[in-house]
Amino acid sequence: MSKIIAVHSYKGGTGKTLMSVNLAATFAKAGKKVCVFDLDFRAPSLFAILKAENSEFWLNDYLNNVYDINKVLVDLSSRLTGEGKFYAALANPGTEAIRDMSSKDRKWEMRALGRLLSLRETLLRDQKFDYIVFDTSPGLQYSSINAIVAADFVVVATTGDRSDVDGTKRMLNELYNLFEKKTGLVLNKVLDPTATAKKAEWSAKIKTNYHVPLLGILPCFCEILRAEGNLIFVQDKPDHPFTKIMGEMARKIENNEVN
Amino acid sequence: MFLDMNLCIVNLNKHYTQYIRSTVHVLYMCAIAGLGGLVIKRELSTNKPLNVLEKIEQSLERLNEKMEVMIEIQKNGESQKPIGLPDAPLDVMTLLSMPDHLRKTAMVICRCNRATAEEISAQTSRARAVESAYLNQLVIMGYLKKERHGRKAYFFIDKEGQSP
Repeated sequence: MSKIIAVHSYKGGTGKTLMSVNLAATFAKAGKKVCVFDLDFRAPSLFAILKAENSEFWLNDYLNNVYDINKVLVDLSSRLTGEGKFYAALANPGTEAIRDMSSKDRKWEMRALGRLLSLRETLLRDQKFDYIVFDTSPGLQYSSINAIVAADFVVVATTGDRSDVDGTKRMLNELYNLFEKKTGLVLNKVLDPTATAKKAEWSAKIKTNYHVPLLGILPCFCEILRAEGNLIFVQDKPDHPFTKIMGEMARKIENNEVN
Repeated sequence: MFLDMNLCIVNLNKHYTQYIRSTVHVLYMCAIAGLGGLVIKRELSTNKPLNVLEKIEQSLERLNEKMEVMIEIQKNGESQKPIGLPDAPLDVMTLLSMPDHLRKTAMVICRCNRATAEEISAQTSRARAVESAYLNQLVIMGYLKKERHGRKAYFFIDKEGQSP
């Protein structure tokens, strides 16, 4: 079963953070113990979406070997209904911290990979977390490749944009395949309103074009844009079609049905 | 003409591989005989408990590993020859640039931190001897360190010692 899930994309603005938070929240609402990690150190955003701006300890400190992971985790379970547990490890949004993370050398990145890999023991095995969701930075950056290597399953977010399609194809061939990663593709911001109804047709099209299974299709919802990142959608809008699609994606990952 | 030349090169390579293998085999047998004799002689003269067979087995394992590395290097061509310390640490970019067979082994050792060839082979579903050869190759390339504890050889990434 996939325990560590990385959400990645070739380009920015494909909905990675939206998917990461809502996928993690979907698992937590179903009674699981989950943690979402903000690994986009160049443009941190999870702290704003989860309204945890006053956090004192950051994921940067864990990767810098300053603090233990438990010091960094923020318990946000009260934000959700249900029996599950919802934690977040946030990237420091300070300019100095962003600059610092951008200037790390290869040796530091190697150690950072080791620390991400060790989460399997500290969080999954010892503290009985059910899932860890990595929200990564777009493209081929060290932090995102580290996240992909450490993950069991990669959710690839893409849109219909021509440059995104080509880049995603290249990335699938030259990155995920080399690391032999299990991958599922999410087509986001789809304008065709019949897309979700014609899932089988789209699924076949994705498999032919990208050679990976389709995990889900997310239509372009105006309500998401209107929310301006102020909602955990699956919690605040339980009857919205987006919530249902996220539920379906979580179920597929949990039951290992992505193939 | 071009095809003939290629056939000649293939045949030469075959003969060369066989020659290397038989040479290594002869050296190997000589070493076993010599080593066994030496160990028995020393053990008998010092009146220590006779763990001769165990010691011979350990020595055989070491020789076996060395032979596997030589065969592996020969099989994968000159480009795979170890050339001292690497320029880069064993990070994701190094992993990406590695040949597939070594990347698989290196990724498992990244996940495990420290493991024997047998533990690695359980995860890669390749033979222990094959993993042993790849691990030793990574040691020679400078990406891994090796440590012996009794009969077991542990492989690990030296995170402090690697060059930046």
